[in-house]
Amino acid sequence: MASSQVVKVLIVDDDNITRRIYRTMLFRFCFEITEVEDGNNAIQQFLDGNEYDLVLMDKHMPNMDGVEATRTLRGMGIPVKIVAITDDANSKDTFLGAGADKFLLKPLTFPMLTDILKSFNFLN
Amino acid sequence: MDVSMLQRTYSDLLTSLFREGILNQQFTELQQLQDENNPGFVFEVVSLFFEDSGRLINELISNFNQQAVDYKKIDAYVHQLKGSSASIGAEKIRSVCQTFREYYDKNDIQGCYNCIQPLNQEFVTFKSKLEALFTLEQQIVAAGGSIPMMRH
Repeated sequence: MASSQVVKVLIVDDDNITRRIYRTMLFRFCFEITEVEDGNNAIQQFLDGNEYDLVLMDKHMPNMDGVEATRTLRGMGIPVKIVAITDDANSKDTFLGAGADKFLLKPLTFPMLTDILKSFNFLN
Repeated sequence: MDVSMLQRTYSDLLTSLFREGILNQQFTELQQLQDENNPGFVFEVVSLFFEDSGRLINELISNFNQQAVDYKKIDAYVHQLKGSSASIGAEKIRSVCQTFREYYDKNDIQGCYNCIQPLNQEFVTFKSKLEALFTLEQQIVAAGGSIPMMRH
């Protein structure tokens, strides 16, 4: 886990409505939340020395898509939990092959998110 | 109109939106995220959708009216619209976007073009009905009532 006790989540999605919804869901758990709009900015977060426990990663984004961002993070040796969340059902194998830990189809619901957080032991 | 009448009108309108396929279960998910910490959450998210999607649809129509149509750009717009409509439960809008993408994947340009007017119409209908729903919410709250929840 990241060095503080609070779970730190990075939301990576180019749609501000999706980010707003994820933020509201995660707020219920009092997690620390950061949002970026594309894979490039996600990578930059880690290059800037930020630590996260969980990344919610969209696929189709400008500048760098979620698969490439996932692959890049793993190539950098970043062990963060990455959950791919996309409406592209055909990208599951690609995402998992790039190093994502889980793959979910959009739209994300609160029960889906809760199950994922439990599976990673982020809920006490 | 008294509170109970307003609440009945609200429930009837919301039920009809689900019955007509304008909304799907994802909208109920959003309503369940609204609480005392986020009292205007649904209104805020749907308002964002109105703003973003209105702009995207205008860009789509504008692009299709140009001599050299940039289909890649149009597909990107529709992809974005599909994603955000799915996120808020705007089922009919999402469905038209899905149809558009199926035509696009088959390089059926006429099929793509034929989706634009229905897409715009579904958006106009959605906006009008959700605005009516929010107006009723405001009236219920102003009259001291609570917003009925849709149960599936």
